[in-house]
Amino acid sequence: MTHPTDPLHLAETIVEEEHELADFDRVREAAEQEDAAVPAVLPTAIGRRQWPLPKQADPTAPLLVVEDLKTYFKLESGMVHAVDGVSFRLDHGEALGIAGESGCGKTTTALSLVRILPSNAVTVGGSIRLMGIDLVKKSENALRRYRWREISIVFQGAMNALNPVIRVRDQIAEPIEHRLGLSQKASRKRAGELLDLVGIPKKRGNAYPHELSGGMRQRAMIAMALACDPAIVIGDEPTTALDVMVQAQILDLLDDLRRKLGLSLILITHDLSVIAESCDRVMIMYAGKVAEEGTVAEVFRHPRHPYTQKLLSAFPNIHADRRTLDTIPGSPPDLREPPPGCRFAPRCPFVMAVCSEVVPPETTFHGIRVACHLYPEGSDGEPVTVPTADAIGVTTTEVS
Amino acid sequence: MGTRYFGRKLTGALITIVLIVLFNFFLFRMMPGSPERALARNPHIQASVLAETRARWGLDKPLFPDQFLAYVAATTQGDLGYSLKFEGQTVVDVLATHFWPTVILFGVGEVLAAIIGLALGAYTGWRRGGPIDLVGNAFSLILYSMPYFVIGMLLLVVFATGLRWFPTSGMLSLGASHASPIDVFVDFLAHFTLPVATVAIGLIGQYSILMRSSVIETLSEDYVTTARAKGLTDGRTLRSHVLPNALLPAVTLIAINLGYVVAGAITVEIVFNWPGLGTLTVDALSSRDYSVLQGSFLLLSITVVFANLAADFLYALLDPRVKA
Amino acid sequence: MTASAPPVVSIRGEMLRMRIRSVRAFVHQFSRKPAGVVGVAVLAVFTALAVAPELIVGPLQTVTTAPGAHLEPPSVAFPLGTDSLGRSVVNLVVWGTRVSMIIGLLATVVTVVLGALIGIVSGFVGGWVDGLLMRITDMFLVLPTFVLALILAPIILDIVGRDAELFGIRVTLIVIVIVIGVTSWASTARVIRSQVLSLKERAFVDRARVIGSSGGHIMRRHLLPNVINLLIANTVLTFAGAVLTETTLSFIGLGDPFQPSWGQILNDAQTGGAPGLGAWWWVVGPAACIVLVVLAFTLVGDALDQILNPRLRGRR
Repeated sequence: MTHPTDPLHLAETIVEEEHELADFDRVREAAEQEDAAVPAVLPTAIGRRQWPLPKQADPTAPLLVVEDLKTYFKLESGMVHAVDGVSFRLDHGEALGIAGESGCGKTTTALSLVRILPSNAVTVGGSIRLMGIDLVKKSENALRRYRWREISIVFQGAMNALNPVIRVRDQIAEPIEHRLGLSQKASRKRAGELLDLVGIPKKRGNAYPHELSGGMRQRAMIAMALACDPAIVIGDEPTTALDVMVQAQILDLLDDLRRKLGLSLILITHDLSVIAESCDRVMIMYAGKVAEEGTVAEVFRHPRHPYTQKLLSAFPNIHADRRTLDTIPGSPPDLREPPPGCRFAPRCPFVMAVCSEVVPPETTFHGIRVACHLYPEGSDGEPVTVPTADAIGVTTTEVS
Repeated sequence: MGTRYFGRKLTGALITIVLIVLFNFFLFRMMPGSPERALARNPHIQASVLAETRARWGLDKPLFPDQFLAYVAATTQGDLGYSLKFEGQTVVDVLATHFWPTVILFGVGEVLAAIIGLALGAYTGWRRGGPIDLVGNAFSLILYSMPYFVIGMLLLVVFATGLRWFPTSGMLSLGASHASPIDVFVDFLAHFTLPVATVAIGLIGQYSILMRSSVIETLSEDYVTTARAKGLTDGRTLRSHVLPNALLPAVTLIAINLGYVVAGAITVEIVFNWPGLGTLTVDALSSRDYSVLQGSFLLLSITVVFANLAADFLYALLDPRVKA
Repeated sequence: MTASAPPVVSIRGEMLRMRIRSVRAFVHQFSRKPAGVVGVAVLAVFTALAVAPELIVGPLQTVTTAPGAHLEPPSVAFPLGTDSLGRSVVNLVVWGTRVSMIIGLLATVVTVVLGALIGIVSGFVGGWVDGLLMRITDMFLVLPTFVLALILAPIILDIVGRDAELFGIRVTLIVIVIVIGVTSWASTARVIRSQVLSLKERAFVDRARVIGSSGGHIMRRHLLPNVINLLIANTVLTFAGAVLTETTLSFIGLGDPFQPSWGQILNDAQTGGAPGLGAWWWVVGPAACIVLVVLAFTLVGDALDQILNPRLRGRR
């Protein structure tokens, strides 16, 4: 394991400190008891894949290595550099959280993996190596082989992501029938088992999406994502549209499935508490670039990048020693013409002369990758804390 | 299907029909050339004759409730009065003989237009922005801008008088003696081709534009992205996810349209002298056969109401979300 | 405007500047829609024809002034041949532009004013007024336009007399205007009402109510300006429909032979037996004009809809 601290342990410490989160715990316990009765009908560990690996796959290669990925959007008014040189790695059984403000490119990054992008988006550079196979080089037709069978997606709004005129069970069975080549009957049976697995009674599979509650729909969406037993599941803000209680249930379900099935998970969210609770590593993105990446424990406890610090203090219940919410003045840059140096420079309280001229290189300290001129190559990489209240004019109360 | 939905729609339709009957009553009391007005305009008419005529037609009674109730009672019993032009025939009989030619013409025309128009619209919408879409959409827009009679006249000029492939008017050749039913059918088809082509061509543009925008709208839906993410082929995504949803508004609008088409495309019948309701209506106007005019107005309005109702039910049948 | 006159003036000035800026932005957006630009160009040509037909083809030809022979095919003198009376079809078509466009314009005005009025009142007042107005709207939506027109035309003619004139337009044509207006306001009213319903929920209407504005004031000052964009796009599309309806009504014999529109010319061609005689030139000219003008209006209307309709804005 690459991560020294158990993220769940961290999450629990936070819960203890912040009593508002106590509900989460209760819900989790309830869900765990419920889950004990759920039969395991799917392979429960890595290496027990039911379906053969892709022909060109190299079993010794890491699961997913993304390097210098660049995905741009063509607009009439110019090229939007939505994802501009993003690199990361995902190992078997690992959960990576990608966080950042809306429009920072986190969703585009994830959807670029299997090219589920609007027609005006184009991946202009970089590589995406899934088990050693570069997906960027694949033609649209060849890439289809990897969609859902290797990388599936749990979309944000299940209400819209599910087809309103097809029964839920048939929507789950569809990829099984058409991608794995099972008979219609067998596909439906398996779809029923998947529904069971995510805690929906088999019978409810007959329902249309609008007949299910929000939480049920999201569970169905998860069942659908598991249909082809994929190597990686991407959760694109899977809980954002749900209320808090249901959110917790869905997160626990994902967590349990991950442990049971050995899933590798990429979780995209703007909600840092979600990442704290369910991810091993976190990647903070800003304006199409990686600001900071590392284990959840280290990044959340000792944020280095000024943006990460700001982001953490802008969220309640995460930073234990802060009570009031911090805000980040200004707004993200126009990605049609990004600023020449660091993209956060215009909003950064630490801005230096070099920041608006030179793009900060990504440097690594104790497994933490950070792109900021405060931490040049060869420095000790000790976190420099952002001055809070005074610098931005927000009154905060320090609780020691 | 939920009975509440069914009931609500049915009630709405009934109210509209009541309003139409009401409107019809007052509209035709205002028509020039009614017996009362015709008599009143004659300066030599004696007051006693006028009074007698008024009594005979029931016009001496107050408009409401007596005249109105008599009218409503007759109308609900299917008594729409007698035709002036077709002497001795009831309006209902006259309407009935002209009903079927119209139904055949527009029924077949609608089906052809729906098949071709929806297919064209689905294809151009799916390939939006491509060369076929550009040409197909321009073609649809031009057809959409053509009134039926313009299409009909152009077809007549080219195929009937120019190439002499088809006869110019009527439903069957006048005075021809047909040896067998097959000959009758062949004769009918020869007369039928151009009018039905006119109706179909007039509707294709409209349906194609409608379907195209519906497909484009559906393509932007999240569940289509889901289908792509599932790695389904384009064909399967189109067939199972785009079309079933895109067809919903299109089919509904076609059903609604069914009612208007008959009323709106009466010019086709005039151009080809097709013995249907349109020709009947225009003839009734020029011969001041108001009872027939009133009857056809009632028939056509109520057809539209029922077409709307059918569309609502069709929608409920096709879309699982409409059931409450 | 009493003591605070200067700031009011500057606010006015600022509003004017905003207006100009938004108009500029609109022109810029519109110029990016090639179909819309083509439509505007076509309409400009037809507007020129409608404004000054005399300059282009001379006075309208009648039976007595007809220069040609019966049904002459196209030639240099008569590019589109002659009709059964020997009149040049080009002359008729160019003069027909004025009649068709004016009737279309007037009918559109009637339709939009009626539709906007009923839509705004219905949406704003709500309650039983809304219920009643919408039922009536529904009825007018299902009434068959052409049959209603056939029935209304003699009634109106009977009331006002057959030879009256209004703004130099013969009353038969005014009847067409009224008929189109009466039969097509309903869909405009529906569109406007739904927009008003959503506007009503917004804060500025509440604010106006709280400070004691009357219903009429709110409708005029707050709702109308906010539905105007929608109304403009709707107007252009209504114009296309009005031209189509006018041609059709004239074609079925409700037009005026003394002020021929395109539909009237085609009606003459039909009754004169042009298709049967193979006189294609009598049909093609007016037919092409109808298609071009309706197409142009549709293209402009679509472009405007894409820019101005809040529901469509933001989409491709």
